Amino acid sequence: MNENLFATFITPTILGITTLPIIMLFPCLLLTSPKRWLPNRIQILQVWLIRLITKQMLTIHNKQGRSWALMLMSLILFIASTNLLGLLPYSFTPTTQLSMNIGMAIPLWLATVLMGFRNKPKISLAHFLPQGTPTPLVPMLIIIETISLFIQPVALAVRLTANITAGHLLIHLIGSATLALCSISVTVSTITFIILFLLTILELAVAMIQAYVFTLLVSLYLHDNS
Amino acid sequence: MPQLDTSTWLLTITLMILALFCIYQSKMINQTMISIPPQDKKVIKPTTQLPWESKWTKIYLPHSSPLLS
Repeated sequence: MNENLFATFITPTILGITTLPIIMLFPCLLLTSPKRWLPNRIQILQVWLIRLITKQMLTIHNKQGRSWALMLMSLILFIASTNLLGLLPYSFTPTTQLSMNIGMAIPLWLATVLMGFRNKPKISLAHFLPQGTPTPLVPMLIIIETISLFIQPVALAVRLTANITAGHLLIHLIGSATLALCSISVTVSTITFIILFLLTILELAVAMIQAYVFTLLVSLYLHDNS
Repeated sequence: MPQLDTSTWLLTITLMILALFCIYQSKMINQTMISIPPQDKKVIKPTTQLPWESKWTKIYLPHSSPLLS
């Protein structure tokens, strides 16, 4: 029980060499690339899924926003696959790394904001002040709206990191509690195990929901700016 | 929080950019092309406006003679 709780979030190394490239590039292999005319079942399933999400997510966008389809779909698949693979025992989840999430959030957010300022600067600037604000409040509100704009990518990254980290910590804690309770009371241990099982199902859902939420928010920023 | 240790950030971010912006996108382009059914290509016959061509056909390939290939 003396083990550090956060040890699972340290970037793993084997003999001093980082294994991050293998971990980060492995999920790519799960995306099949067709080599023949007739696709197999997994490919059909993947294409069906990608089309379903694309349709669901891009209906609100105009033509300019729809040009982001490939970016958004690869984003959701990347986050979902790394999250789900990270739930395997003894594996490392790259999405628990704040650096990676910030690295994903900032370029995408900045691209949407710059696109908004370039294509329709008046509407983009109008976002800084809600309509019908009393005159004394104007400077204050502009400062608040500016801060809220710049906090968006940080919130995006921290949300994903915190959710995945919290889930892994909970699984770790309840898992070690189950093991520790085994020698004391089997009944309590069984109950803890059931809780652990239910939590694992919840984490499977969270892994996919967080990928969806991240992409949906980027898509919303894009919608505001295109 | 080991996430705040900045020594691995550069590698993490570089690999993320490689995976997300290069590999995933190129793979997905390949994949979604999959269900486009193969179709016949519309053949556009080249039409030449050269005056000597008809003459050439008349002289060397009359309708009555069999096509030698």
